Amino acid sequence: MIKFDQVTKRYPGSDEILKNVSLHIEAGEFVFVTGHSGAGKSTLLKLIAATERPTSGTVLIANQNVSQLKASAIPFLRRRFGLIFQDHKLLYDRNCFENVILPLRINGVSGNEAAKRVRAALDKVGLLHKEKAMPITLSGGEQQRLAIARAVVSRPSILIADEPTGNLDASYAADIMAIFYAFNQVGVTVIMATHDALGMSATQNRVLHLDQGQLTQSKSSITGINQTAFNSDVSTS
Amino acid sequence: MNNWLNHQLQAIKLVLSRMRANLLSSFMICLVVGVAMCLPSLFYVGVDNLSKLTDHMQNETEISLFLKLDASHDTISEIDALLAKNPAIKQYHLVTKDEAWQQLQAKSKSNPDVNNAVNQLGKNPLPDAFFIQAKSIEPDDLATLKTSLQSIPGVEQALLNTDWAKRLSTIISLSKNLIFFIATLLAIVLLVIIGNTVRMQILTQQNEIEVSYLIGATNSFIRTPFLYAGVFYGLFGGLFAVLMILGITLTFNYAIADLSSLYNSDFSLTIFNGSLFLTVVSTAVLIGWLGSYLAVTRAIASIIQLQKNH
Repeated sequence: MIKFDQVTKRYPGSDEILKNVSLHIEAGEFVFVTGHSGAGKSTLLKLIAATERPTSGTVLIANQNVSQLKASAIPFLRRRFGLIFQDHKLLYDRNCFENVILPLRINGVSGNEAAKRVRAALDKVGLLHKEKAMPITLSGGEQQRLAIARAVVSRPSILIADEPTGNLDASYAADIMAIFYAFNQVGVTVIMATHDALGMSATQNRVLHLDQGQLTQSKSSITGINQTAFNSDVSTS
Repeated sequence: MNNWLNHQLQAIKLVLSRMRANLLSSFMICLVVGVAMCLPSLFYVGVDNLSKLTDHMQNETEISLFLKLDASHDTISEIDALLAKNPAIKQYHLVTKDEAWQQLQAKSKSNPDVNNAVNQLGKNPLPDAFFIQAKSIEPDDLATLKTSLQSIPGVEQALLNTDWAKRLSTIISLSKNLIFFIATLLAIVLLVIIGNTVRMQILTQQNEIEVSYLIGATNSFIRTPFLYAGVFYGLFGGLFAVLMILGITLTFNYAIADLSSLYNSDFSLTIFNGSLFLTVVSTAVLIGWLGSYLAVTRAIASIIQLQKNH
């Protein structure tokens, strides 16, 4: 599904953020990306989400080489992903329903079908009763759940979350993690950057550990369960 | 196709609701567009009508051929024969000195001062005269005819009273050039105003644009609503301009009705000028589209750049 081959990323005027990273993420996996801040976690996620291109090496996403994609093809690649950011990136000028419907508008889904899917997504994160509320009136955990609803409403096959629990206290963080596990259970690939070992210690998922741009550790303590065929329901959009 | 149409409709709905939400500022922009479109249009209406008026007058222009005071009957009939043969002349008539004298006396009766002056003259100071209408109304042809008539023996003076009409038509064609320049300058102003307005809107929606990009929006998805915003500013502004032109022309016609009647003229401005209105509205729409296109293209490039630097 996602394959990095000797990927190096350097921004103009900076050192290499990522050095010679090679990795392979299968469909249906739940992968953590860990490391200190500045270790290159966000850059790795950006490369996966095709918001950045590698300086050298190849990034293959669903067998498409990101470096060779035309700029006009990038938006369509991005629609395969659900992106969740640490700072939510919600739109505070509109209510929850309108926030969640945005990806559907971009995908050209409208009318009753769109409304149905928005409510389903809100329901999954437990915010159905808040569809008319403005995001600013929600708590931090609720805002992050709203961001998740927006990320999953277009039924992406891959969820990419950059420290989704970073600003939340433990109980909210547990809620959020539970939601991600639920999506993973139905076959969605989840890639999550986190610096907090607590959220994942209880689990036995694969961990990609970055240290100063190098992939130092790629332990896969569990094999099989997540990779098994849950993929049928959430195939590519 | 259906998808595309759907997207356009959504964009239009979005833009109209945004305009409704900022009704006052949208109204102001449309008003600015309207006024800017109205100015050269009014100027055009004025010049256009004036040039119709001068065309009309040039049709009626005559060459007045005044004979020498001592011209004999023979001379008059010789000139008469010459004029009859001249192919450039449509028609002419003779006013003898006696007829002219009688006309002058008759006309001056109503005005005691002039009447006194005329009576004091005692004898008739007026010459015999031919009044000639040429076939052509071209100023150059008229001038040639005038020169040839001037050279006939026994003619004191040939007067072409189209000189002022000629000057006026020169001024009018100059004004038409001027309109072009004024219109071009105002078009540039409009481009800048609409471009700037759209740029401000993009700034207020920067978050939405950034997020949309991240979740897979294409450039055209981002661009379309802003292009429609520009088009609507142009459209509503153009309609404002048409209303203003109509209102001003009507008011003007009402005001000059009295003046025209004093001059025995039924002169009035043409109220409904469909092709002008169409031009005004379509030009405004085009300028709106272009202004927002330029603004949105620049803004999108800078937002993409910004994303990269994050």
